[in-house]
Amino acid sequence: MPQSDSEDFESADEGHSNATRKERKKRNSSSNYSDNLDSDFEQRRPQPKESNSTEKVATTDGWDDFDVDESETAKETHLKFGDDKPIMSSSQDTGWNDFGDWGESDTVKSEEIKQNTTLELSNNAQIQNPSVTTKETEKQIKSDGWGWGWGVDSLLSTATAGISTITSQVSQGITTVLETGIGAPNPEELARITKEKAKITENEVSEDKQEMTDSTFQFGSLLSGVTKFVENTGTKVISGGLDTLEVIGKKTMEVLQDGDPGLVKKRAMLGLETEKPILSQILREAKDRADEEDKVKEAKREAKEVHYESLFDDFEGLVHLEALEMLSRQVSMRIEERLRSSDPEKRLDIKETLQQVAELCEMPEDDEDDDYEESGDLSKEDVFHEHLQRATRDIGLKLQFQPLIKQYTEILTWLESNDLNEKAIYKRAVSGLAHATALCVELYHKTGEMLLVKPRRSTADEADALTQLTLVLTKHVSELASIFTEELSKKQAEDKDLVNNYITNVFLEAGNSSKYIQNAFQLALPIIQIGAV
Amino acid sequence: MAYAYLFKYIIIGDTGVGKSCLLLQFTDKRFQPVHDLTIGVEFGARMITIDGKQIKLQIWDTAGQEAFRSITRSYYRGAAGALLVYDITRRETFNHLTTWLEDARQHSNSNMVIMLIGNKSDLESRREVKKEEGEAFAREHGLVFMETSAKTAANVEEAFINTAKEIYEKIQEGVFDINNEANGIKIGPQHSTAGGAKAGGAGAGGAAGGGCC
Repeated sequence: MPQSDSEDFESADEGHSNATRKERKKRNSSSNYSDNLDSDFEQRRPQPKESNSTEKVATTDGWDDFDVDESETAKETHLKFGDDKPIMSSSQDTGWNDFGDWGESDTVKSEEIKQNTTLELSNNAQIQNPSVTTKETEKQIKSDGWGWGWGVDSLLSTATAGISTITSQVSQGITTVLETGIGAPNPEELARITKEKAKITENEVSEDKQEMTDSTFQFGSLLSGVTKFVENTGTKVISGGLDTLEVIGKKTMEVLQDGDPGLVKKRAMLGLETEKPILSQILREAKDRADEEDKVKEAKREAKEVHYESLFDDFEGLVHLEALEMLSRQVSMRIEERLRSSDPEKRLDIKETLQQVAELCEMPEDDEDDDYEESGDLSKEDVFHEHLQRATRDIGLKLQFQPLIKQYTEILTWLESNDLNEKAIYKRAVSGLAHATALCVELYHKTGEMLLVKPRRSTADEADALTQLTLVLTKHVSELASIFTEELSKKQAEDKDLVNNYITNVFLEAGNSSKYIQNAFQLALPIIQIGAV
Repeated sequence: MAYAYLFKYIIIGDTGVGKSCLLLQFTDKRFQPVHDLTIGVEFGARMITIDGKQIKLQIWDTAGQEAFRSITRSYYRGAAGALLVYDITRRETFNHLTTWLEDARQHSNSNMVIMLIGNKSDLESRREVKKEEGEAFAREHGLVFMETSAKTAANVEEAFINTAKEIYEKIQEGVFDINNEANGIKIGPQHSTAGGAKAGGAGAGGAAGGGCC
């Protein structure tokens, strides 16, 4: 219920402009009943013969409010519940939990039903109202009390509110049962809930009564009589209504279930169980689907096993590259800042230095394939280690080459084992290249970090070392590629095309590896440069 | 390994508070009493399952040494979660929290979930920082708080997973734009929008083992 309604209600009591309120009311009220009352009021309005001032009082305080109250009754009921959260929730909880047996069968449905019920709730509330309110109106007319019309009226509205609440709750119960229509409701249970709710509502009524009595203290005695009457009527309506509803409920279920225990047919007819699932079929379908998924997964796994990029990621190459990029970007920004903050002459100097460092880091033409072959009795991995150390001799840092060496050794040992099929070699080639590349990128990343915390920088040495290192590393990956491809071509494979395909791919990935390595080196450039400026 | 989301975490805090040990306990379920000093940043990764979805936690374990401070700062960006660690047996590590927090807030995105961790809870006899103090600090700065022990593994799992849950909730609430990688969240390679429905009941599938390499 939106806030505006409550405002509406409040302002009605204060009695502001009549016309606008009417307009609003018409917009707001959807029930024919309140419209009728409106027109009723229209007819009566000219009748009073009192003086102008009295009429005004009457209009604003009595009839008008009567009218307001009637049309707002249903809303007020909601409002009360809305305001009084604990009561609302507790009463609703009991209601829904107790009917949960039916509701739980289908949440979506029960959701819908809930909406239906609320709709019907307000309708019922209003339909139920006339009998009660008419009585009250009569009473009021008899007493002919213009002056205290407001008090009675409020009481009336409270009473109707109370009663309509009960009625709507009872009808809510019934509607729920009828709508869901699953199993017979337990009348005792229903009665119990309703009584509980009635109790709650009664409390509410008496609370309100208290309030009213306070505000209209002059008419206390008169009012208490009226209140009694209302209360009594209320109780009568409650107990009478309950019995009737119980009977109706039972009868309805009897009729519905006649020759159709459990309402199976009727539910089928209503299309509540259109697709009755057959368990075995479901299970079979589920199994088929699982098999299918397994196959797809297996294929994906296979594909991933020889997928360079994801292997590179698995070996943490990607995350080291990302970190190196972040570091590089930050250092570049610092260089930029330094350039911006220095005076023009100095700026030129810095730019020149930066350029010189960049030139130092340019890769030499790949022509010197010299010392790889000459180291005769050393093992391949020792040669590799030797090269790495020689390249970085002057960098002034203790670099960790062990992971690279170890990985190389593992590959060489693996290849020595007999009985390798082409596919296994190919897989190992791709993953070996991805792994080696990841380790290379990590090496650049670590070197970069260590350079940045190095107390004394020697730019030229660093630039040279990293350039040499890059050469060694790119050579290393192409060496790896040729080891694998040699192994592949040694195989007298039946499927020549497949093997050729493998070989091409291995060289491709080796090229890929070289690119990653050179890219990592480029990212390290600003880190070398910043040492010089 | 296929995942629905990847969350980037950073672990920060003074040197020697046990950042790397927490990571090792979480990824490898083991404790290493003597650990090399971390240089710059080291990485760890592990799969977890939240709400039936596979989530890869990619953890950036930063160096706590002052010398690396300016370097580690450049790694804060794009983290979805941070574990801010102090050592309950060394008060100064607790006293430095404010500086760490300022650093983290300044260099990361504002939605980053920060979990405050008082580590070494197994060393009760040497405790210098009361649990209540940690709680109060966390409350004051809007952090989640936990005391852990990387040695006994107490609360380690919870610390990482609860952070992930909070990030996941933020995604559900739409606080994180998952398409913006600056938020530290990446969508997995095989993540399809309809994928979630099938995962029902897979929640028990649980944490796939650690050790990514």
